[in-house]
Amino acid sequence: MIKVPELQQVKLYAGKLSDLERVMEYLRQRFNGATFMGYKLQNSMPVFGEINSLSDMPIRVSDIQRPGYYELIAGYRFRLSYASPKWYLLPPEHSILKVSPDYEFVDSTNNSLANKVVMFGIKSCDLNAIAVLDAILIGKHPIYTKKRSSVIAIIIEECLEPAETCFCSITGTGPTVLKGYDLAYARLDEDTVIFKAGSTLGEEIIKATGLREAVQEQVKSYYNAVERAMSIMSTRLPHLEEIQKALRRNVINEKLWKTLSEKCTGCGNCNYVCPTCFCVEIVDRVEESYTTRTALWTACCTYTYGLVAGGHFRRDLYMRYRHFILHKFLFYPKQTGGLLGCVGCGRCTTWCPLGLDLKETLVKVVEEVR
Amino acid sequence: MTLTKLENPFTFKRALVVNVVKEAPDTNTYIIKLNETYTANPGQFNMIYVYGLGEIPISLSNLPEHRGTYTLVNHTIRIVGAVTRAVMLHVGAGSQVGVRGPYGNGWPMREIEGRDIVIVAGGIGMAPLRPVIKYIENNRERYGRVNILYGARNPELLLYKYELNKYTVIPNTKLLLSSDIPAEGWLHYVGFVTDLINYVDVDLKNAIALVCGPEIMMKVAIKNLLKKGFKNEDIFISMERRMRCGIGVCGTCQFGHYFICKDGPVFRYSDIEEYFWVEGI
Repeated sequence: MIKVPELQQVKLYAGKLSDLERVMEYLRQRFNGATFMGYKLQNSMPVFGEINSLSDMPIRVSDIQRPGYYELIAGYRFRLSYASPKWYLLPPEHSILKVSPDYEFVDSTNNSLANKVVMFGIKSCDLNAIAVLDAILIGKHPIYTKKRSSVIAIIIEECLEPAETCFCSITGTGPTVLKGYDLAYARLDEDTVIFKAGSTLGEEIIKATGLREAVQEQVKSYYNAVERAMSIMSTRLPHLEEIQKALRRNVINEKLWKTLSEKCTGCGNCNYVCPTCFCVEIVDRVEESYTTRTALWTACCTYTYGLVAGGHFRRDLYMRYRHFILHKFLFYPKQTGGLLGCVGCGRCTTWCPLGLDLKETLVKVVEEVR
Repeated sequence: MTLTKLENPFTFKRALVVNVVKEAPDTNTYIIKLNETYTANPGQFNMIYVYGLGEIPISLSNLPEHRGTYTLVNHTIRIVGAVTRAVMLHVGAGSQVGVRGPYGNGWPMREIEGRDIVIVAGGIGMAPLRPVIKYIENNRERYGRVNILYGARNPELLLYKYELNKYTVIPNTKLLLSSDIPAEGWLHYVGFVTDLINYVDVDLKNAIALVCGPEIMMKVAIKNLLKKGFKNEDIFISMERRMRCGIGVCGTCQFGHYFICKDGPVFRYSDIEEYFWVEGI
């Protein structure tokens, strides 16, 4: 968990929403031709995609999230959409190879990819999710590697109020960022924005846009808000170590997993919206003179996960739901050199059509051993 | 961040099928010509691609054979799904396929030098173990006694029938065959191949076991090997799962925290014991 004193070593700057616009403008000039990717409103619904200006972004809305429920209202506390930076870095469907019937490669690279991308306004949980995907995919997955290396700057928006489904302080992935970003900002109120630099580029932006150092009052209310956010989330779940210990002890508790997955329909929504889920199927899309080897997101909760021609390795739904949970909390750390696969964003809960609450599952697992 | 340009790991080598050997009613061995010097360890696998249909992970069922500028590799394939059916029905001598690999770790041939070896193979599980036998034959002085236990549901389903008897000519090698059911003319053991573990001829203090077959058969094999006195860390098994990439990025072959494709397919039993008995993990 991030400790507030650690944060206080960072110099804070204060500005208005218009300053955020100037930051974007500065980056546009600094990285001529770069594509800006972030949360934006499209037909009044938040998605993740290309941003042209601040007015594309969900800056005048707040999201209400509950298990199986999402709504936007007027406000300035936008947390996240179902889509995350994964939509850009590892799109739902991506071509990995084009092959002719003679087994010749028609064209093995996708040149239409943007070569310079600024991630603008992504969240602390998103940043941590990218680190997880990096650990699994970078240098191995050709599309991910190419897209990831196109990211030249990362601007983070910190959440000062968690949604009901959030628990990033438990997973140690938010709400504030400590490293791995260039510039971070947080909205203290409707118009006041607090900035901090995380790299030399960040410092350069602050200097170039002439942001003033935050006054003591602002610094205080920023830290108060962070602390409040963390304490709200800390009541939602036991400590991570306790969760992991309980999971380890219940791996073989078939009865428990059957109970926990009772509400699960195996639709895979949780996997698709999860910013760290990376599993893909590879299928052939055959056209007249060539076939496209295409990677499609797949989901461990769906029936085909573990299915092979000769049988099924995860026949029952509880086995697949269990894999989803164990993978996030026990297996990812072993696969990534220590990173948790869950970043506490709560998307799996918000977009579960039956409102199956990940937090509730974890609490029940812990209660089982108490 | 800086990255060196990544070559697309999904590109494959074009390969020509030069011969097909009928092994069993639903199983053939394909001898494939790769125009390069290709090497692989016993127990590794290739991804075999059939145009328009997809790729399947298939073990090498023999040591790669170098012939000047090209290499011959063997893949024994049984019909189980769409791609294997397509291979069986449409791929013959003269056909092309795509091949990429080798992938996976393979059997620990170096580590097991000097040890007595028990090979336990069930059905198609013999395919990834056949290169082990060939490798030992080529390097006989490096290994101790060898016991080959091989069984199938019925004698007709045994693979490599044309050469099984030759294994008994390898010095210090015992071959025990089994058929689950009695069959006319079958003079070997009737029952499960795992029963034959009782009859192995090894120095238990210095013995290791290599096991491959259906998962249920491997479970019984492990129980019997442990009962016989083998240690957890001296049993190796080769596993399978749904597998799409072979390089640890598609995620579909996960078994506990392992990716079968890159951390396996061969595992030391003591490393996977915590998962092995958990159904559906």
